Amino acid sequence: MAHCLNICIGLFLIVVQTTVMPHIPVFERFYDLLTPLVVYLSIFRPVREGTVMVLIFGFLMDNISGGPFGLYLTAYFWLFLGVRWAITFLHVGDSFLLPFVVAVGVLMENMIFLGANVMLEQNLQIAQTMVNTVVVQVLWAVFTGPFFLMLFNYSHRRWDRWTQKIFAQKN
Amino acid sequence: MFSKKMVMIVGVIAIMAVNIILLSVFNRRYISYYRPGRIAVSVIAPFQKASSKSILFLRDIWYHYFFLVHAAEENDALKKALDKSFEKNVRYREITLSNSRLRSLLNFEKTMTDPVLSAEVIGKDPSPWFKTVLIDKGKHDGVERGMAVVVPKGIAGQITEVSSHYSKVLLIIDPNSAVDALVQSDRARGIIKGDAAGELSFKYVLRKHDIAIGELVVSSGLDGVFPKGLAVGQVSGVFKPKAGIFQEVTVTPYVDFEKLEEVLVVLNPKKQNKPS
Repeated sequence: MAHCLNICIGLFLIVVQTTVMPHIPVFERFYDLLTPLVVYLSIFRPVREGTVMVLIFGFLMDNISGGPFGLYLTAYFWLFLGVRWAITFLHVGDSFLLPFVVAVGVLMENMIFLGANVMLEQNLQIAQTMVNTVVVQVLWAVFTGPFFLMLFNYSHRRWDRWTQKIFAQKN
Repeated sequence: MFSKKMVMIVGVIAIMAVNIILLSVFNRRYISYYRPGRIAVSVIAPFQKASSKSILFLRDIWYHYFFLVHAAEENDALKKALDKSFEKNVRYREITLSNSRLRSLLNFEKTMTDPVLSAEVIGKDPSPWFKTVLIDKGKHDGVERGMAVVVPKGIAGQITEVSSHYSKVLLIIDPNSAVDALVQSDRARGIIKGDAAGELSFKYVLRKHDIAIGELVVSSGLDGVFPKGLAVGQVSGVFKPKAGIFQEVTVTPYVDFEKLEEVLVVLNPKKQNKPS
C-alpha cells in the first residue's frame, strides 16, 4: 500500500516540477523535487520499498528528460545507497542534520550529472551559470529540504493510520 | 580469505564500472522509447497536459478578466502581429538576397512551404543540465524523429523521440543540438551549438569572414532538418584568436525558450504524401 502513496507523491512532484514551476520565476533554479523523496525513502523506509521506488522514479525521469538513458537511475541509485550507508554511522534523522542531508543529496545528484556530462561529452564547457545554478539549488535544499522530509513523513503516518483503519474495519 | 570490507569495496567498484559502461552504451544507442519508455511517457504526459492546460487557463483568466482586460487583449494581438511581421521580414530579406545572387540559376522556393503541425508544450525538462520539452503531438499525428520544430521567431529545435501521442523536442540551446547555419549578410557558414548557459555558439566559422555584432544568423538548410532561411538569432560576440583557422562567435537566440508554449512541427511532405 505504501507503494501507491509513494507513486502518487512521485508523480505529483514530477508534474509540478515540469509544468508548474517553470512558470514561477522564483523557482527557476529549484532543485529536483524527487531528491528529497529519495533521501526520505533511504532514511525512513524499508530497503525493499525504497529500492523499488528509486528504480521506478529513475526510469520515469529518464524518459522525460533529455539526458542519456540511465542518468537519473544512476543518480537516484547512488544517492539512495549513499544515504543508507551514511545512516549506519550518522544519526541523520535528527533535526540538526536534516537540512544538510537533502543539500548533500542535491549536490551529489548534480555531481553525478556533471560527471556523466564530462564522461560522455567531448569539449564540455562548464558555464558560470551552471555553477551558480548548483549553488542556488543547494541553498534552496538547505532551507526547504527538511520541510519536504517532514511532509513525506507526515503523509506516510496518516496513510498508514488510514489503511490500518480500513483493514481493521474489514476484518 | 578476503575480509568483508574488502569484498564490499570490490563490489562497489564493480557496480560503478557496470554503471559507467551501461551509461556509455545507452548514450550511444538510445533505448528509452522502446515500449516501456513509451508507457512511462504515456503515464506522465496526460498529467502534465492537464496541469499545463490548467495553468494556462488560470493565467488567461487572470490576464484577460482580472488584470487589464483590453490592454492584455490588445497586447496579445500586437505580439502576434509583430511575430508575423518579424517572420515575414526575415523571410523577405532572405529571399531578396538569394534572388539577387542566384536569380538566373535557381528557382528559390519560399521557406516554410512545407506542411506544419501546431503543438503545445506540455512539460519542460526536469534537469537544468538538459534543454528539452515535451509536446502534445506524436506518431498518431504524423510526427517523426528528426523533424524540425519552429516558432514564428525562428528555429526552436528538433524531434528526438516520439511516442504515440507525445514527442520530445531537443531545443537548439541544448549542448547536444547542432544546426547548420549561416550569417545572412556575408553567407559565412558554421554550426550552431547550444551551451549550458542558454546561449548559442556559432562554431567552425572561418576567420576570413568579417562578422559584426548584431548580424542575423539563419538556417542554411544543408543539415536536411531545418528549412532554409529561418531565423536562429543575432550575433552577440565575435572573438578572433591569434592562432587557428576558425573564429569564436556567440549568438543570442531570437526564441525565448523560457516562454515556449506553442510550436510548429515541420512535417516531411514527401512522407506525408506517400500512399499508405
